Amino acid sequence: MLKIDQVVANAGDKEILKGLNLTVKPGEVHAIMGPNGAGKSTLGNLLAGMPHVELTSGSVEYMGKNLLELEPEERAAEGVFLAFQYPVEIPGVNNMYFLRTALNSQRKYRGEEPMDSAQFLRMVKQKIKDLNMRDDLLKRPVNVGFSGGEKKRNEVFQMGVLEPKLAILDETDSGLDIDALKIVADGVNQLRSPDRSFIIITHYQRLLDHIQPDYVHVLADGKIVKSGDKGLALELEEQGYGWLNE
Amino acid sequence: MAGSMSEAMTWLGPAESGQSLPAGAPQWLRDKQQAAIQQLSSMSVPHRKMEIWRYADVNRLQAQMTAENAPELPTPNAVDHTVIVVSQQGIQWHSDQPDWLTVEPISQMAAADWQDVQPQAHPSEQGMVVLNQAGLHGGVFLVVAAEQTNPAHVVELIYVHEGEHWLNLRNQFKLASNCQVTIKETHVGDRINLVSHWAVGPGAQVKREVTSRLQPEAMLVQFDHMELADGADVRAMHQRSNGALQHHQRQVQFAGVGAKYVSGSINKSILNNNICDIVNVIHNQKNNRSEVTHRSIAKDQSQIFNNARALVAVGADQSEIEQDLKNILLSADAKIFSKPELEVYADEVVAAHGSTIGALDEQSLFYLQSRGIELTQAREIMIESFEQEAQVC
Ligand SMILES: Nc1ncnc2c1ncn2[C@@H]1O[C@H](COP(=O)(O)OP(=O)(O)OP(=O)(O)O)[C@@H](O)[C@H]1O
Ligand SMILES: [Mg+2]
Repeated sequence: MLKIDQVVANAGDKEILKGLNLTVKPGEVHAIMGPNGAGKSTLGNLLAGMPHVELTSGSVEYMGKNLLELEPEERAAEGVFLAFQYPVEIPGVNNMYFLRTALNSQRKYRGEEPMDSAQFLRMVKQKIKDLNMRDDLLKRPVNVGFSGGEKKRNEVFQMGVLEPKLAILDETDSGLDIDALKIVADGVNQLRSPDRSFIIITHYQRLLDHIQPDYVHVLADGKIVKSGDKGLALELEEQGYGWLNE
Repeated sequence: MAGSMSEAMTWLGPAESGQSLPAGAPQWLRDKQQAAIQQLSSMSVPHRKMEIWRYADVNRLQAQMTAENAPELPTPNAVDHTVIVVSQQGIQWHSDQPDWLTVEPISQMAAADWQDVQPQAHPSEQGMVVLNQAGLHGGVFLVVAAEQTNPAHVVELIYVHEGEHWLNLRNQFKLASNCQVTIKETHVGDRINLVSHWAVGPGAQVKREVTSRLQPEAMLVQFDHMELADGADVRAMHQRSNGALQHHQRQVQFAGVGAKYVSGSINKSILNNNICDIVNVIHNQKNNRSEVTHRSIAKDQSQIFNNARALVAVGADQSEIEQDLKNILLSADAKIFSKPELEVYADEVVAAHGSTIGALDEQSLFYLQSRGIELTQAREIMIESFEQEAQVC
């Protein structure tokens, strides 16, 4: 599904990713851990097409396509979704309106019929129930005045509505209370399927108690320096990252 | 370069024949007209480089009209919508006249009711006010009685004028104490020069909505003076787009205490237009509040000039002032001048002001794109949300 090959990339004018390799097959869940500033978000941003994050060498292949050639909105319609570490507030844009516009833009790109508002409402109501979301958040402008945890839950809710094929969650668990953590994990687990993959960036092993990863990687200084199974996350939790340098 | 009289005439339009004032006009107004005609005859033809025209390309004042701009009138449908058309021909009612509302041609107003309208800032810039004084065609005297307390009732004035010559209008609005009403003004004319005086009574709650979405060649020059009595509450919303030239000046003055003036402007200049939006709030009494928010967008070779000025006089303590001007440039050739100004001579004043000029927020655009929304649509959504911030009613 995703093949990241020897990727070197800049954020702004600084080289952040320094020869990163990662292969994700359909249905797999990969967790990425690593120290602050290692380049984890830069990786997510590169895949989603954020401005000022640019590839200098290497390649990213997604479902047989050169991912980095596509516009951000094309990547989204092809099934790539990034749950942001810091979701932006967009005053004046209603959450529901935004989501329906997003969904129908994706459907249009894929040559599907747009969803009318009744259909959309029905679908959204079900998702709200599934994900235990507060529905009043949806009547408000996108992320405006949301608490840190509410913003993260809104990202997961968007993921639930848009049903991506490759979801990248960038520290979606940070700042969540214990109940919210479970809700987020449930959201991911409900979406898990043989043709859907996840990259979960996290600092905490506890999320991985709820979402069983197939692989755990350590990203340090722009590269994957170690890969393993869930046991690696436990080791990191106990010992930090220092021992990796030894 | 001083314009010869004949050259000046092309833009002076309405002053050319020294229009006669209505019979009821007081002597001081007649004197003013004479002085204005004098002043205009020695004034040079406007030029965009002149500071007095605030960078607006007033050469356009001289332009010949070519397009036929047939105005379209809205049809009032609701019971609480009163529509009055104001044109060179006078006043035309397009709905029933409620008991609490009097609207009569200004020419029929009694001499004692005439209010002087004197701009107190930008004295060098009052060419159009002078012009208005020199040639007075018409306008309305509108009075809302105290028993009107339905804020949802809209009294809509539609200013209609077709043709090459300028239509000079002078309005007076008198809103009785504690009345509640919405007054809407829509400009659909080619060349209108409008001076208005507003007297808002104690405790009155007034919504004012001014819409000037002009045809490409249309021009509008406007000066308002508004006075708010004790506890008056005015929310004024201005929506403007396009036209060859729009020059708006508002002057707000507090006559009592505990009043509030909240103003929002959305200035959209996307087809190579000039829009100038000047607000001057004079806090000359204690304990009043003003909030002025402008959101402006300029594209192509458009120019927008924004100025929110507040003056707090000696002794006008507990004044509260907010000025919030934000601007977006959509092209490299567009220009925006944006200037919040505070002049404070009192103690204990709460004031906040800010002005920014920038492009659309890249991070927000990317957020929308990352969910599948195309860049052009993402821009439209962002512009809409930017405008929303100035939507005060
Ligand atoms: N646009 C940019 N311009 C310059 N430097 C940038 C830019 N974006 C990120 N960086 C830098 O790149 C480095 C990696 O940042 P990144 O956000 O990818 O780290 P991270 O691994 O996600 O860290 P954290 O765990 O703190 O979220 C940091 O030093 C950061 O300051
Ligand atoms: Mg990060």
